[in-house]
Amino acid sequence: MQKKIIDFTNLLRKSGVRVSVAESIDAFEALDELSIEDREVFRDALRSTMVKRGDDIPTFDQLFELYWSAFYDSLKDAFEQAGQGLPGDIDLEQLLEQIRQGMQGMEGELDLSELAQALLTQDLSKLEQLIREAAEQAGAGRIENMLQLGFFTRRTMEQMGAEGATQELRDLAQRLRDAGLGDAEVEALMELVNRFAEALRRSVRNYTERELQQQNFDYMERFRRESLLEKSFYNLTEEEIRRMREVVTRLAQRIKNILSIRRRRLKKGKLDLHAMLRRNMAHGGVPFEVIYKQRRKDRPKLVILCDVSSSVANVSRFMLQFVHSLQEAFTKIRSFVFVSELGEVTQLFHDEEINAAIEKALDGGDVINVYTRSNFGHAFHDFWKNHLSAIDKKTTVLVLGDARNNYNDPRAWCLRDIHSKAKNVVWLNPESPSAWGFGDSVMDRYLPHVDVAEECRNLRQLSKVVDRLVL
Amino acid sequence: MFESVDDVIGQLAEQGYIADKSIATVVFLAARLEKPVLVEGPAGVGKTELAKAVSKASGRELVRLQCYEGLDEAKALYEWEYSKQLLYTQILKEKLSETMAGATSLRDAAERVGAEDSVFFSSRFIVPRPLLHAITSDDPSLLLVDEVDKSDPEFEAFLLEVLSDFQVTVPEVGTFEAVRRPFVFLTSNDAREMSDALKRRCLHLYIDFPDEDLELRILDTKVPGIERRLAEELVGVMQRLRKLDLKKTPSISETLDWARALLALNATELDEDLVRETLNVILKYEGDIKKAQSELGRLITRKSEEPAGEAKPRGAAPASPAAPAAPAPGRPTKKGTLH
Repeated sequence: MQKKIIDFTNLLRKSGVRVSVAESIDAFEALDELSIEDREVFRDALRSTMVKRGDDIPTFDQLFELYWSAFYDSLKDAFEQAGQGLPGDIDLEQLLEQIRQGMQGMEGELDLSELAQALLTQDLSKLEQLIREAAEQAGAGRIENMLQLGFFTRRTMEQMGAEGATQELRDLAQRLRDAGLGDAEVEALMELVNRFAEALRRSVRNYTERELQQQNFDYMERFRRESLLEKSFYNLTEEEIRRMREVVTRLAQRIKNILSIRRRRLKKGKLDLHAMLRRNMAHGGVPFEVIYKQRRKDRPKLVILCDVSSSVANVSRFMLQFVHSLQEAFTKIRSFVFVSELGEVTQLFHDEEINAAIEKALDGGDVINVYTRSNFGHAFHDFWKNHLSAIDKKTTVLVLGDARNNYNDPRAWCLRDIHSKAKNVVWLNPESPSAWGFGDSVMDRYLPHVDVAEECRNLRQLSKVVDRLVL
Repeated sequence: MFESVDDVIGQLAEQGYIADKSIATVVFLAARLEKPVLVEGPAGVGKTELAKAVSKASGRELVRLQCYEGLDEAKALYEWEYSKQLLYTQILKEKLSETMAGATSLRDAAERVGAEDSVFFSSRFIVPRPLLHAITSDDPSLLLVDEVDKSDPEFEAFLLEVLSDFQVTVPEVGTFEAVRRPFVFLTSNDAREMSDALKRRCLHLYIDFPDEDLELRILDTKVPGIERRLAEELVGVMQRLRKLDLKKTPSISETLDWARALLALNATELDEDLVRETLNVILKYEGDIKKAQSELGRLITRKSEEPAGEAKPRGAAPASPAAPAAPAPGRPTKKGTLH
């Protein structure tokens, strides 16, 4: 049992649930206090001692199911089936009882293997234990893919001595016949032995399959979560975009939570005389407690310029969603999208629900014509002409684009003017820095007028940037 | 304190708290292992209630520490009572000058005052705050640290120290050690993830929204006068409501509020008008109310009228708000204003 729990702990760790040594010791102590007959109680005890994050609970539950309950249940199923409908309408219980009595007669010369005994007495927990041990010795834990299923099943069976055990049982049947067991019973027993062998083989195969699932579990699960964070925006499927949206919402929520706590816990400012005198009235005016003025931290103003040409549309999509989910974190957000001409979408975001607004801004010609070729110079000039007044010294300007200008005039001076008026200019480029300035990329021309330029190709990088922006 | 897991369920039920097995198991373990319990879950599922019920069931005094930002040791642990010290100094002035009489040098005077300073820094002038109270009290107590996620990380680190040894050092006086270890509950709404160190020392309990069956039993216990049929309809609506994409998903406390409100209105069954008028009892945001109103027809489908196919996923995933059965019909259009 102990070993089983330690194995399970390792499995949890491999699947990304952090279980410390102290916590697994807790688990053991907890199990000492409880009867582990009740599976639910057993699970709750393990869960409450080992899993401390709400997010990890589903992982735990699935693994628990895989590791503890399901195999025993399937074992039970397999052997119950094997015992049903024996030839000659013989009841399994009665047959086993007869065999037991018969065996008592030849005590001494009988030396059945553990497996054969477990099969005869239908001791399923013993069987489970034997299968686990054999599988471990056969190295079933190293299974990597479906093709190895047959191989490891066979090896486990060999390790367990399944062949020998069935032979022993057949011999036993012979000897029982010699000892005077009825023909019908012997026939039934022979049939039963065959069925047991089959049930055993199925169970072992089942166990190996589970082993494979367990090995792959963390892989699948983590793949789902992590890969979305790491996955490049360039190649997302429809389904992934949908899932990504949820992830973005969750990330935004998390930042919001952190924010609400940090906002109110600012650095202490100057002495607040009024408040201090008042507070210390009780002490006869002696200032025991010192009160400081709370310094107010300005929430940033944000102007976003998003390139929405097809090459970077996904980055823009999530950027917009992110920033607008975080509305409260900024005093004011103004969003613009461009390919060549520039269009403001602030109002759109105000009127429509976020996702609908993004779809509208990105698809078709509702706001701007998206079916042209990118021209950053033109867009910046547009902004310089019409919206420069939107920028003051508290404004952060966020530009999102690959700076692939199709050999048009970059008009970097527009960005220079924007830069000189703004608090800072942040450029997020989905291309890696080594590609900046090559081909039709004019990133190098814009770089002097940008405070921070970052590569932003996946959600993790994006959330890092937003994090820095608001915190 | 408790005999077995079932005993916990029974004793809590006597206090009017319907606990499922996983809650009872954790409470039982916490009592046996003398470990703190960290209770997490959405607002209003009865985290604080659980601590109260356990305190009543075990006959321990409930010491509650409500956490908030800026909560510091002075408010959580102990504080020197400055004004009392001041007052004593003034009253004892004459006595002091007596002591001082005959002092020949400043050094001598300072020595004499120094010899007496334990008078002013003794437990007489300490105001015990919840933590110290829970530790020093002679009778066993139950310490409830409520909404621990709202406190600052610094306070959390300090709490860690207290929870691991159950002792508190006051530099001027000495160390107080717990006579009887208090039973500790920490509750959290997950506004911030607690540090691993704290989590490691606690048993973890996640209380989710209850399933239909449990919610019905809770309703029966807490609102005794309610008719069976109304209760069933009401719980059905709540379960379906939780599957909508709402800003604030209604919880058990809302269910109970609503049941009491309906009882006060002498309602015997739910119809669209009644639900429309009383929605503001369960939903706290304008956008949520609008969304629920647009879904009213689906919300109050009776059990009998429900197509057989729909009944199944409802039982299977009662708590998941994003269950596929409820296509999220877009969020409220006005999500914060642009300035």
